[in-house]
Amino acid sequence: MMEVLHGLGTGFAVALSPLNLLLVLAGCFAGTLIGALPGIGPINGVAILLPIAYGLGFPPESALILLAGIYYGAEYGGRISSILLNVPGDAGAVMTTLDGNPMARNGQAGKALSLSAVASFVGGTIAVVLLSLFGPMLARFGVKFQPSDYVALMVFAFACLASLVGSSPLKTLTGALIGLMLATIGVDANTGVQRYSFGIPDLLAGIDFLVIVIGLFGMAELFHLVEQQIRGRLTTVPIDKSFVSWADIARTKWTMLRCSLIGFIIGTLPGTGASVASAVAYGTEKRLAGSTAGTFGTGDIRGLAAPEAANNGSATGAMVPMLTLGIPGSGTTAILLGALLMFNVTPGPLMFEQRPEIAWGLIASMYIGNIALLVLNLPLVGLFARMLTIPQHYLTPLIAILAFIGIYSIVGNPFDLYMIIGLGVFGWILRKLDFSLAPVILGFVLGGLFENNLRRALSISGGDWGILFSTVDSLVLYALAIAVVVIPLWLGRRAARRANAAFDA
Amino acid sequence: MPDRIFAAVLLFLSLIYAFYAFFVIKAPFQYDPLGPEAWPRLLSVIMILCSGALLLRPLVQNFDVDGATWKRLAIVLALLAGYAVLFEPLGFIISTVLFATVTSRLLGAVWKRAALFGLGVGVGGYLLCAGLLDLNLPAGPLPRL
Repeated sequence: MMEVLHGLGTGFAVALSPLNLLLVLAGCFAGTLIGALPGIGPINGVAILLPIAYGLGFPPESALILLAGIYYGAEYGGRISSILLNVPGDAGAVMTTLDGNPMARNGQAGKALSLSAVASFVGGTIAVVLLSLFGPMLARFGVKFQPSDYVALMVFAFACLASLVGSSPLKTLTGALIGLMLATIGVDANTGVQRYSFGIPDLLAGIDFLVIVIGLFGMAELFHLVEQQIRGRLTTVPIDKSFVSWADIARTKWTMLRCSLIGFIIGTLPGTGASVASAVAYGTEKRLAGSTAGTFGTGDIRGLAAPEAANNGSATGAMVPMLTLGIPGSGTTAILLGALLMFNVTPGPLMFEQRPEIAWGLIASMYIGNIALLVLNLPLVGLFARMLTIPQHYLTPLIAILAFIGIYSIVGNPFDLYMIIGLGVFGWILRKLDFSLAPVILGFVLGGLFENNLRRALSISGGDWGILFSTVDSLVLYALAIAVVVIPLWLGRRAARRANAAFDA
Repeated sequence: MPDRIFAAVLLFLSLIYAFYAFFVIKAPFQYDPLGPEAWPRLLSVIMILCSGALLLRPLVQNFDVDGATWKRLAIVLALLAGYAVLFEPLGFIISTVLFATVTSRLLGAVWKRAALFGLGVGVGGYLLCAGLLDLNLPAGPLPRL
């Protein structure tokens, strides 16, 4: 406990410095703006702004504070387009449309926006408290991890990914493999042997992480917008004078608390993020509502509070494995992890001891950011809602220009401009074919770690593969990996059998 | 069908990838039990299995993009390529003004507004990013800030 308080002390000292305070506010503000844009979710927002944040030359903790602010700010802002437009910014905001949009159409737009801001605040704050309590504990557990345990952890991460994310496990696995294979391009650090660079000098150092992120997310998003382009303006529901009351909060307090916890726990699982968390939370609340569940989907405040508390909880929960074990908990945290690697900071169990200013500074900034978001969102929601009316024909070129500025100012190589366009087309095709892109980026980020740990483990054992199964930690992780794959399959079969039985009777 | 085509291309590429992993990549000397070729070999085998499975049991049946949309996508792709080609030689301001004006016009803005938008983004973007934020952007023939 003392350790946590001490850490938070260090963290607030970092986060309250004028520059970092400014960056938290700027990140939260920019994040909410981006999240409010219809169709652009947190992952695209962070991807497009990552190189610019990197190019500004801040110290690593400040850049991370800014990027994290954009991340959970966008998670906050996503609810605005869900509620007013019925267009979710990303998969994590889909559940918010179910009750949020009906509320707005029933003349309670103001109430829906303010209630969801409160729910987001509760979710984010509970999750950051849990993060500061459990983070150091998990890090202490992770410190004694050997390379072979890391291999087991990666297997677990990819098992979670395949079983819980995306339309089909096969496609998710294929996506992760694409990422893993892209990561093998370039000179092998251990032996200096060229792999898959075909003598092209621009590929010797491998494909830059920024190029992958901007290409697969930013540019693919641009093609998606062009494809979906809707002529004229979308019709938004105007914001009225209704506002959340204490009675509403009292009615939803248990919903918020439960769903914050659900969100946090699901967020901590490697690979699963806001979309799974909000869906599980919504389903749970609907089941718990029992006889009053009929109002879900028609503008029930519980149905709005549940997914919002959960997706903000999971955004913070996803930071737990990233900060403590160096394994990202979601696609967006994979980007944050890559950002840390660009600063030559290796996230992992030692970060709490060796670079406390980064680990604790980030955590402390999230306390501040959550309060800032609530304060920003209640009065300024009208301003953010204006973003909804930005016509697509200005938004699309803007994304391209931001991507070009970002890539050129960091790498300064015109070859990379062609690379991001090509990867954008590739990412768009993947999206069209129902591949989710988060596994690709997770595979790319984890590829090097996975391979290095495997090789190191086998070096230690002198080539004996038995070392992979030699510790208790690794066996537990393999068991969990099997459970994560088998249990959903078994539950699915059972549900199908029940449905059949009910049909026969 | 689109899934099949994609899976076939993926299978073809992973076969090439596997060929390199099994026959080309070799370290001249090494002390570790696993060399640079082991990991790609493992990945290539799993990928061949995955893309083979996808080829046999495709999931997406319809790509669902009509002719007009294909045309719009192709035009945007061409504009992006042009922007990338001209980015360094013409510099940020000129290339961005051209790109932003033409793209927003083609996507539905009227000429006058598109031109105003292009000018605003090109000049404003340069002043903000190169001037205020000190990012490295190509100046082209115009004098550097």
